[in-house]
Amino acid sequence: MSSDAYELLAMLMRYVFIALGAVILFRALRQMRKDARAHKKEMKQLPDAGLIGEVVDLDTGKSQPLPREGLMGSGSGCDIRLKRRKVRRRHVLFTFVEGKGLRIKPHLGSWVAMEGVEITAPAYALHGTQMTLGEAHIRIRLFAGLNVPNPAAFQRDAQSLPMDEANEEMPWSGMPLPFEQVPQAQPPGQRPVTQMTWDYAYSLEELDEARQGQQPVQTMPYVQLPEDEQTEDYVPYESPVVRHRRSERR
Amino acid sequence: MSDKNKKRRRLTPGRAMVSTVMLFFFLAFFLLFLKDFAWQSLALSLVVPVIILFGSVGITKLFPADTLLLSLTNFLCALGVLVLYRLDPDRGFTQAVNYGVGVAAMIGCTLLIRYLPSFRFVNWAFMLASIGLLALPLVIGTERNGANSWITLGGRSFQPSEIVKIALLISMAHMLSRRKVIFTMGFAAICVLILAVQNDFGTALLYFGTALVLGYASTGNLLLVGAGVGGAGAAVVLGNMIMPDKFARAMSRVEVWLDPWQDVQGAGYQIVQGLIAMANGGLWGVGLGAGNATVIPEHYNDFIFAVIVNEFGMLFGLIVILMYAFIMIRGIMIARNTRTMFHALLATGCAAMIALQVFVIIGGNIKLIPLTGITLPFISYGGTSLVSSLCIIGILQGVAARNAAGIHEDRELAMQGGGVR
Repeated sequence: MSSDAYELLAMLMRYVFIALGAVILFRALRQMRKDARAHKKEMKQLPDAGLIGEVVDLDTGKSQPLPREGLMGSGSGCDIRLKRRKVRRRHVLFTFVEGKGLRIKPHLGSWVAMEGVEITAPAYALHGTQMTLGEAHIRIRLFAGLNVPNPAAFQRDAQSLPMDEANEEMPWSGMPLPFEQVPQAQPPGQRPVTQMTWDYAYSLEELDEARQGQQPVQTMPYVQLPEDEQTEDYVPYESPVVRHRRSERR
Repeated sequence: MSDKNKKRRRLTPGRAMVSTVMLFFFLAFFLLFLKDFAWQSLALSLVVPVIILFGSVGITKLFPADTLLLSLTNFLCALGVLVLYRLDPDRGFTQAVNYGVGVAAMIGCTLLIRYLPSFRFVNWAFMLASIGLLALPLVIGTERNGANSWITLGGRSFQPSEIVKIALLISMAHMLSRRKVIFTMGFAAICVLILAVQNDFGTALLYFGTALVLGYASTGNLLLVGAGVGGAGAAVVLGNMIMPDKFARAMSRVEVWLDPWQDVQGAGYQIVQGLIAMANGGLWGVGLGAGNATVIPEHYNDFIFAVIVNEFGMLFGLIVILMYAFIMIRGIMIARNTRTMFHALLATGCAAMIALQVFVIIGGNIKLIPLTGITLPFISYGGTSLVSSLCIIGILQGVAARNAAGIHEDRELAMQGGGVR
């Protein structure tokens, strides 16, 4: 092609390239917005996403959502903030370890006790563990379904679990897999024995698929509520995040 | 699948974007083919779109990946290959090979971040290797453009600082997630100091900026940032007093930045030619293959943005900048959705590093800040730079894949019962 003809063509094509570039940008923007909407929707379905439970302040009764890892202390940047005497700005570092529990590592010089026993080296807190940080008394409450060794909590809820009375030492590893316990619609006047955060977090199609794919489906056992609990006494589950926000507003 | 569903599937924004990117490069290489009827251009007009299709859609079939991030990265990498091929076909082909190696490295980084549970045991090795590699050019390095930061091995030269970027990001994120702030800043300061001694001020600025961003992201402490900036200022003043020769080059760059026209044929030649090329391109450019930006020294490397603006126009230059901005925003979104502090800091560091690098080099090109010799990520010629930039994208992909796995875990937890006991 002659250089003049090419130059003419190149000058014409520059508009095409800019237009295509703008289209790519526009589509990228649309994709970002679509993803952001999908994420928001998902977070609505899973309000406790990223959390593993809550920390209850035994002195005030207030609770704070517990993330998988973070810092406890009195500083403003702490994930669990405890404004109490002798609680340092950065008191303990915590990390959830699958199969072991919540790993608590006290900062240098921070006084931490677990069930009344002072700890100086990293230790694991389980569901129900009471801790003392300076003058703050807290209790760790973990979500049901987490892979943590917690036989005590299991035994306490024994009557609600799908096992015989005799099988009290049911190991944690024996727990049914998630899809074997697809939650069923809740019959009126009954409630699941363990509180369900997200009974319907899965779409109905997904639940159907799970049910069809794993026959026979084991259903969640339900207990009949006593007459007085069937009415106004029963408080449905509320996410720790929502509860914490409400207490903060107050 | 019904017709309606098929149509909807075809029209997802991600797929539409990939098809537009493919069309862009088909037309661009075909246009170059029409210039001189070289068969290589025709081959590239067919091969590059296919590679983009594999790189953007095919990879997502192998493991969960962020399609948008992949598409934007592929666009910028392919743009680099296109511009370099137009300037010098040999460089274009070399860059295409580097791109392939970079994609492999990106997949490796993605899998590493996705499946390695902790960097606890390799962190020290990373730190020691980083310092060792950075210091290596002081012993066996070769000088290029005034910076003694290159190593030549077996006829091929590379910059260790490009490789160390990845290790630096991982080590800093790991240590800051464990709240070892002072130690981390000390490590970053050592790295910056070594680079300053090598006269590689551009990379030093990049490391310094990333360390500050990560320090602020992990602590939320503005005093720390202030102390970092103050410390760097004091170090520059002190360095200028102790080693005036070393800092003379940096000072001359500031002088050139302030008034490049005072020495048009000398120190200010590069920046003046860059500005002329961009002004010559105007809003719409002079057309692909019709520009004459090759007169700019380092046009394939530091000044590739000026070449792009010259041939594609300022509007297209703005589109390229916005693409980098989208990559950074996507990185921050990935960081926000993480479950652990380490991954949050890692993604933040990756986004910050790319954003800073783009700012420093494009800012230098358009005379917004003094020019420093670093590459434009994904586009500039250079194997190590391209591979390390793609590794950073791989890290972001790995963190995104972990986020997806985290959501899956939460769903399983919800199915198992969820709720506080």
